[in-house]
Amino acid sequence: MKEEELIEKLKAEIIEQLSLEDITPADIDADAPLFVEGLGLDSIDAIELTHLLDRNYGIKLEDPKARREVLASVRSMAQLIAKQGK
Amino acid sequence: MQAYINSVSLISPQLTHDGSFLTHPLVNELACVMNCVEPVYKEYINPVALRRMSHVVKLGLAASAICMRQLPDVRPEAVIIGSGLACLSDLEKFTRLVEEYKEETLPPIPFINSAHNTVAAQIAMQHKLTGYNITYCHHFLSFESALRDAFMCLSEDMQNVLVGGIDERTSDNFHIYNIAGFWRKEPVNNLDLFKGSYPGTLNGEGAAFFILSNEKSDGSLACVTGVHTLLLPNSTIEDVNQELEVFLKKHSLSKEDIDLFILGRNGSNVYDSLYGQFEEEIPQSAHIAYYKHLCGEYMTSSSFAMWVASNVLSSQSLPDILTFRRGSRQDFHRVLIYNQALGKEHAFILLERA
Repeated sequence: MKEEELIEKLKAEIIEQLSLEDITPADIDADAPLFVEGLGLDSIDAIELTHLLDRNYGIKLEDPKARREVLASVRSMAQLIAKQGK
Repeated sequence: MQAYINSVSLISPQLTHDGSFLTHPLVNELACVMNCVEPVYKEYINPVALRRMSHVVKLGLAASAICMRQLPDVRPEAVIIGSGLACLSDLEKFTRLVEEYKEETLPPIPFINSAHNTVAAQIAMQHKLTGYNITYCHHFLSFESALRDAFMCLSEDMQNVLVGGIDERTSDNFHIYNIAGFWRKEPVNNLDLFKGSYPGTLNGEGAAFFILSNEKSDGSLACVTGVHTLLLPNSTIEDVNQELEVFLKKHSLSKEDIDLFILGRNGSNVYDSLYGQFEEEIPQSAHIAYYKHLCGEYMTSSSFAMWVASNVLSSQSLPDILTFRRGSRQDFHRVLIYNQALGKEHAFILLERA
């Protein structure tokens, strides 16, 4: 799957996982920070996103530093999935 | 002790949250369940917080907000809730996830919401009410337990308390009670609930909130003067009548002094016979009302009845949709709510005109 296709798929999954009812995939900037700025997500959302990666793509984020880097934006998540995802 | 009802709110399967229920009662076309007519939650709950809330939390927060908005200057010193099932749906979800994820790390939100006191805690956070905060999960006597605690708070040093009765329908709970034959097997129009003789009733839900005060105000709707519960398996009508007599005597009253009896008859021939026997000894001049055809059966449905009672006492009129037998009394001075479940959990709530 091309990176842009993966990003669109991931946006839809994030919206569903986090119950972002008023947000559409088009509202999410793939390069914008997911936390504090951008979507304004918080630490509970971080756990939900870690779960999403585990359940949907078999990726376990156990190192806190790596988790911060991967969950920085939709694009960084998509790049990890492209590299490691099952 | 007198607890004045200074504000009320109710979210139920009727249009009760916006006040149009009495003119537009809804008919639940052929169903075995009755779901709440929900308000626009964003008008009452922060949208960012809303996305993590389950159905029962949304019901509780919105109903409590409606209640508190009517008295913006009042800061309740306690939040006391009765809920038979509390946040059971989140617990159901959470336990399913434990199995699905093979006991590894779980999504946090169903776990966070699964505590029994979640609704009361969220109300406290939303309104910054840092005082006493508790939830009673006492099966079909949960609301009455909350009410009794509210009485104790008001008799000590508190002036205003927020009291609620809340329960939602959950799929697992419906299934378990269905096995026990608690619900109707065939769908029924709710307004026909009392027609014919069938086992089972409609599964309902609702959230009612009241600001109770130890001081009467110009806007007081009614006054709760007593609450009494009886837990007695296989209880007979003699047990119930004896308990009621003692309860009323404590208030220097008898059945003759009650103008309206609101009964929790639910249309199931398994448990309604007790109500039938109870009705036989109600004075002919008194009015009798039912309410579960409008909200279904749930563990805190007596809070729906208390909402009805406070409206009848303040408006001095009993709507036809609630009336089973119209008596000859012209005024409504005292109302008695009698609700029982499974023939063993009985509760009386006594209200008077404010």
